[in-house]
Amino acid sequence: MEQDRLFRFQAFKLPNSLALRSCGVYLSGALYALGVWAFLDAVIYSKTVNASDVHVTFVDWIPIICSTLGMLIVNSIEKNRLLNDALGNGGFGGSSTTTWAARVILFLGFSLLAGGVAGSIVVLILKFLMKHYSFPTLGMGVSNVVANGAIMLSCIVLWVAQNIEDEYSYSLAL
Amino acid sequence: MKVTPLTKIIFLSGFLAAGFLLIILSCALWSNWYPLYVVGIFLLAPLPNTLFTRSEFDDFMSDSSSNTNDFAKFITAFLVASGIALPLVLYHTRLVVLPATIMSTSGGLLIYTSIIVFTLFFQDSEDEF
Repeated sequence: MEQDRLFRFQAFKLPNSLALRSCGVYLSGALYALGVWAFLDAVIYSKTVNASDVHVTFVDWIPIICSTLGMLIVNSIEKNRLLNDALGNGGFGGSSTTTWAARVILFLGFSLLAGGVAGSIVVLILKFLMKHYSFPTLGMGVSNVVANGAIMLSCIVLWVAQNIEDEYSYSLAL
Repeated sequence: MKVTPLTKIIFLSGFLAAGFLLIILSCALWSNWYPLYVVGIFLLAPLPNTLFTRSEFDDFMSDSSSNTNDFAKFITAFLVASGIALPLVLYHTRLVVLPATIMSTSGGLLIYTSIIVFTLFFQDSEDEF
């Protein structure tokens, strides 16, 4: 490992430690709460102090529902199914159908996540920017985008944190 | 200097009571009882870690225990961030005023830290046996 290094400095190395993993999981939960509360803030704002005639309707709820469903799907996949295939023995065995199922469901989850972010941007543009609203009203659309971005970031952080642990346990098991 | 457990317990109960005092004052001074939800959130926050984190099952070879530990940590961080975010949202939507926001947030953090420090002390005293 040490002598087949190309550069003088190692570019990027995932640290293998349990503390970093739990930090990542905590950070992911905090980011998810940030997203949910950013959206709920827009909802309550639209109900209470909203001076304009634009309100948060069910259209604004659709992207965050998509993001939450996508995060649930992505993180409930057993990652060993994908890992088995990546190690190269998933070709002809009986596990290939489950590997394919895992891939399809994972694709569904990621497209739900991306669709949530894209949908929130679409709502921002079509509902707020195209009608030239000024900022206190525009803030409801912006917080929708912030909420979906935070949920996607939380999903990414959770995925990376769990993969850190997988590497750790492999390096101890082998 | 050795601190006796009785002193620790007295100081922690003082901090806990100060936290409750701050939150109830932030509700009662403006007779607006929305910030009382913060107490519920911060009392729920230490529960998942204490329920799911078992040190005898904390084995890196088995997957299921680490998964439940991850879920508990996720829920814990979600609840703590919610407890911080809820007064800010209430302030932004003008349901409470700014001093009530500050008082309820600091009171909730006092309650949470006193519970966490209490469990740490309890674990320390258990390790000495």
